Amino acid sequence: MQVNRSSLSLDQAPPISVPFRFFLTAPVFGLLAALLLLIYGPEALSTRWAPATLALTHLITLGFLGLIMCGAMMQMLPVLAGSPVPSVEWVTAVVHLLLSIGVLALAAGFLLGANALLHLALAALGGGFLVFIAAVAIALKRIQAPNATINGMRLAVLALFITVMLGLTVGAGFSGMISLGLLIPLTDVHLGWGLLGWVGLLVISVAYQVVPMFQLTPEYPARLTRLLAWALFGALMIWAPLYLAWGSGGLPRLAPDVWMLAPAAAYGLFAGVTLWLQQNRRRRVSDITLLFWRTGMVAIAVCLLIWLWGLIPAEAYRPAWPLLLGVWLLFGMAVSVVNGMLYKIVPFLAWFHLQSRQVALMSMGKVKVPNMKELIPDRLAQRQLYAHLATLILLTLAVFWPGFLARIAGLSLGVSCILLLLNMLQATRRYRQVNQELSEFAASR
Amino acid sequence: MEHALDVSGLEPPEPMERILEALGTLEKGDYLRIMHRREPYLIYPMFENMGFAWHTRPGGPAGYEIFVWRQNDEAACAEIPPSRWSQPRKQK
Repeated sequence: MQVNRSSLSLDQAPPISVPFRFFLTAPVFGLLAALLLLIYGPEALSTRWAPATLALTHLITLGFLGLIMCGAMMQMLPVLAGSPVPSVEWVTAVVHLLLSIGVLALAAGFLLGANALLHLALAALGGGFLVFIAAVAIALKRIQAPNATINGMRLAVLALFITVMLGLTVGAGFSGMISLGLLIPLTDVHLGWGLLGWVGLLVISVAYQVVPMFQLTPEYPARLTRLLAWALFGALMIWAPLYLAWGSGGLPRLAPDVWMLAPAAAYGLFAGVTLWLQQNRRRRVSDITLLFWRTGMVAIAVCLLIWLWGLIPAEAYRPAWPLLLGVWLLFGMAVSVVNGMLYKIVPFLAWFHLQSRQVALMSMGKVKVPNMKELIPDRLAQRQLYAHLATLILLTLAVFWPGFLARIAGLSLGVSCILLLLNMLQATRRYRQVNQELSEFAASR
Repeated sequence: MEHALDVSGLEPPEPMERILEALGTLEKGDYLRIMHRREPYLIYPMFENMGFAWHTRPGGPAGYEIFVWRQNDEAACAEIPPSRWSQPRKQK
């Protein structure tokens, strides 16, 4: 009998400070985005090219989504695949610091029109992401028998690399570092790879594990999990040159738009299957993360409708169209899913680290480890869900009536981010308390 | 003697809670057969800390089977059935 005894290092899971550092910083960037919307008001929702809009978008994509996704990935690789990220504490310190500096410098650089700050941002973000990608790529490469989740994650990380390279190029062009033609189509390709590549592929591959695991649904159909990520990645590989060819006048706009029907349909299929699986879950209790996920999946359907609306030539040139698509892609789909996952990941990790320590100390019955619901009570998570939904509705309306509603939407986003931060701090505080009790127990023996 | 535990329909962290609970009831010569839908990497270090050995193999009704017994309990180890789902491994 081949016994796996001692074949694994005891520190299989990274220290809790690794993911929590990212999870606790992300709501602060969300709060900065809210402050920006409060201060700049309608200007931030007038056109997607306004400096305040660019700053706001990147505070959400890099500061909120990017940090949580990086932290979660470093945590998930050892849990889901038994493959820890090498030198995880060092990588965490470097990535967290560089990304945080980079996001702040980028937002400030956009707002102040200061090229020096933009250059600092490009260096910090480029460095931070490259360290992250290299470390995660090593862990992903070591996995012997990759499943659909791991294959999806590999493609997502590749999409992140493409997004970062495009972002650095566009940033260098925008800040006058290099002279660059096709700035606008390159920006669209950058955000296509970022949202439909990195964010979308990571959401899909993580869904294959966490939707059946936490929501007790049937498994995703095997054929879907085998093909979807590859199909999406391939579709983006073809869409990007088609789009750039349109940008340089070589092709009619119809070519990339018709091609985009393929990834759009694939995302629609994923959202439809996920909603169907959730409808057929075994334990029919309502759950906050489930509601966040459902919001995200419905948002994908709304994005498809908004995108189809944009195919009407006269509509696509209205400034409201890309803003509306941005609101639903970012806040509707990405923020909903990522925010919702925190309500599973954070209490689970706090519980797990306390439980592990209790097992190591043999302190069962002496120190009570709180369960997940005690770490973040449902009513607190629910309150934040309502604030998030209110923000989504207010942002949608503010796209059409920015003068009246932009600042109210900013206020709502601020409330949602403060509640999220308080909920994360609540779990952290409870973790520290019980960890202290365990330390006292260890000292008293 | 075999103690069977199916945790495939449970939401985390219940599988881990049930497994740790079940390990407390194992007598000499007993092993725990866990049916799980995925490989529970996080619990292995706990097995080690608690003085248990384990063997994981893909297959079974849930996707994975994990056998756990007390370290140095040769009798329990010898009782573990050969795999019905994957190529049988040579016994130690």
